[in-house]
Amino acid sequence: MNFRKVLKFPGVSRTLSVLTTLFGISVFVFLVLRVIPGDSITGAFGIETGALTPQQIAELRVYYGIDKSLFMQYISWMQSFLSGKFGFAYSTGVSVSTLTKSSLPVTIELAIIGTVLGVILGIAIGMFSAKKPGSTRDFAGQLFGLLALAIPGFVLSTGIVTIMANKFHYFPNGYEYMTPWENPWMNFQQMMFPGLVLGIAVAAPVMRTTRSALLETVDKDFVRTAHGKGVPNNKVQFRHILRNSLIPIVTMTGIQFGYLLGGAVIVEKIFALPGMGRQILDAIMKREYATVQSSIMIFAIMFVLINVATDIVYRKIDPRILK
Amino acid sequence: MKISQRRIRGLVAIASTVSIITGSLIAAGPAQAATKDLNIGLTLDIDKLDPQGATSFATVRALGLVYGSLVEVGPKLDIRPGLARSWGFNAEGTQLRLHLRPNVKFQDGSTFDGADVKASLDRILDPANKAAARANILTIKTITVDGLDVTLDLTIPNVAILAALDGVNMSMLSSDDIKAGNIGKTVNGTGPFKYVSWEPGQSVKLAANATYWGKKPKLDTVTFRVIPTEASILSALNAGTIQFSVITSPLVAKQAGSNLKVYKTPGLAYVTLQLNAKVAPFDKLGVRLAIQCAVSRAEVVKTASSNEGKVIGPITSPAYASDPKARPCPNVDLAKAKQYLTDAGYPNGLTIKTMVAPTQFATASGTAQSLKSQLAKAGITLEIDAVDDSTFVTRWLAGNFGSSVANNGGRIDPDTMYTRYFTSTGNLNKVAGYSSATLDANFTKGKSSGRVADRKAAYTAISKELEDNAVWIWLFAPYEYRIAAKSVTGFIPLATGSLLELRKADMS
Repeated sequence: MNFRKVLKFPGVSRTLSVLTTLFGISVFVFLVLRVIPGDSITGAFGIETGALTPQQIAELRVYYGIDKSLFMQYISWMQSFLSGKFGFAYSTGVSVSTLTKSSLPVTIELAIIGTVLGVILGIAIGMFSAKKPGSTRDFAGQLFGLLALAIPGFVLSTGIVTIMANKFHYFPNGYEYMTPWENPWMNFQQMMFPGLVLGIAVAAPVMRTTRSALLETVDKDFVRTAHGKGVPNNKVQFRHILRNSLIPIVTMTGIQFGYLLGGAVIVEKIFALPGMGRQILDAIMKREYATVQSSIMIFAIMFVLINVATDIVYRKIDPRILK
Repeated sequence: MKISQRRIRGLVAIASTVSIITGSLIAAGPAQAATKDLNIGLTLDIDKLDPQGATSFATVRALGLVYGSLVEVGPKLDIRPGLARSWGFNAEGTQLRLHLRPNVKFQDGSTFDGADVKASLDRILDPANKAAARANILTIKTITVDGLDVTLDLTIPNVAILAALDGVNMSMLSSDDIKAGNIGKTVNGTGPFKYVSWEPGQSVKLAANATYWGKKPKLDTVTFRVIPTEASILSALNAGTIQFSVITSPLVAKQAGSNLKVYKTPGLAYVTLQLNAKVAPFDKLGVRLAIQCAVSRAEVVKTASSNEGKVIGPITSPAYASDPKARPCPNVDLAKAKQYLTDAGYPNGLTIKTMVAPTQFATASGTAQSLKSQLAKAGITLEIDAVDDSTFVTRWLAGNFGSSVANNGGRIDPDTMYTRYFTSTGNLNKVAGYSSATLDANFTKGKSSGRVADRKAAYTAISKELEDNAVWIWLFAPYEYRIAAKSVTGFIPLATGSLLELRKADMS
């Protein structure tokens, strides 16, 4: 069996393309971190690096593993990544996998809340807008979309935090972060507003996609037929129009979920949530190479998995894709 | 548009649900416990548990409550007894005898004595341990212990070494811990609070140390909580979820609500435009003096720091502080600035570049912008080269810059503050970009004399040389803000940035 035939097996070509993409990302991130000035020593010691003797710097280079060639540093990190330890976070004295175990669920929870809120808001406003194109309600819906796209997340976050804290003395994120298992009520309060900020960011593109998709579907023959058969309006809206417009909405949602993982950085910072975004940001400042590289690889893998999940959802929505 | 009753009912139901949820969240915000648990908001997490190697502000502040040093710096920047209850120099200033406090216990119950002092100082002096304060005590030749008496023999007369014995980087550690290689793994100090736990990226918890040698702290626990932005910290203070914080941004501090107390103290740190005299065009004295004459420090304070800060000269140590009016061009003199430029060969002005790390300190970008607009009036175009913190440090240490806007730490003694920058053998002389035989001689004179008048004369001469040659453009000392809930009482702020006086704080 030759290689071309192997590639034709279901999933083989896709798997190879995913692995190549991930390898490319790992090399790119690894090299970018080495190109920017500074290293783990300046990240850890700051200006006090100037007080270190050449002998001390040499010892520290060995300690941080940056005395090896770039190739060996990459191999060493990749071995650690594939073993599931993801490398060592020197400033905290624990492995990157230990840090990630506590930070990844925070970011995933935040991204899920943001996506769910965004999809509900986006589809609802999109449907509301598309029902009467060119009307006042359409204008209001589009204005929401425009504002949600135009207002940066950090402005919205800061505004919410300031108003809630100053006017209502309410800022639950000032307390220690609680997981949903430790204290579900506190977790809900700590996640509600950051989730809403991300939700609004997701809602804008979802709303615009929903509106265009619905307007395209609404003139189709099967919609006219459904109306002609006397199917109730609500049923036509949801079962016929919305369902047949879902492909671009699901695509947009998948893309947005991926972006949310990265976009959560600022929101996590303002709402003091100990998630992956903050972990990456802190690690970049400290030039903790393994933490940055492994965290970005985890994001990349998740992005790939979301794309796969989106494909699966496509097939559920439109079985014709299977053919 | 006609709205049906059904729709109105629906809208009312949605509005009611939203208001009930929001209202209940606000009303049922987490109740504040009526205990003496102080929550402190810091923008950064600690990064190590070894106090002698601590360099980040967060680590220094948290571990400063757990460990003790031989001497302490008081609110008036006076040197006070710490783990040493008294001390004395010989007439030549080459020997320091310290008498230790009796009955001091480490938090593991073991007794503190001279052997711990020797082991701690030896650990700092050993280059393998990368202790941050090693350079400050390199003049120690031998350490002799006799019970609770410790004698430090010095290679040269050095009375300034006493001030260098203060601080977290000079923490006294248990000799048993050092021997067992436990430093950085376990936390065992003599300070007013003992370490409980560290949740990386989230919080550090401390509890009152019942065996502390001073008065037992009134607070039951102190928790340092990581809240990454100062604006969010202020929100948490306003909401009452934390009760104390250290803020660096004057803009944020000014927004503190009436339910909060703001302790504002001029710090020892200073903001400066560092000029690298080894790089053109700053190798020309005329260019440096032109910048000196074109910059109004008061204007920088007003525009970059919301009018919060004190105009300073090179030395900020209160006992030896430089007089900012003694510098050439104490007020802006554009005619003189242009004349200096013409004499230096730049009659049509020139373009210079300055390196800034906007996230390094709150007023970094504002200071650079203020300098840019002021220098433009003298025909100097300032290009701002904004970089991230780590890039700044790397280029700064390598002397790879023409000029840079920096916020450098100050010390209570000018010797430890500037020897490393402005003596020809100082480890940061490459960064300073300037040294001279007269500076070397004056630093030696200042270090070796036990008489305050002699020391003052030496440091005044140093200050004058630095200003007359416009080595750097010293701008202002930013204030340090500690913001506390009104329920926090008895706290005394220290200009060193230490939070040690939380040992006297209480919560009502």
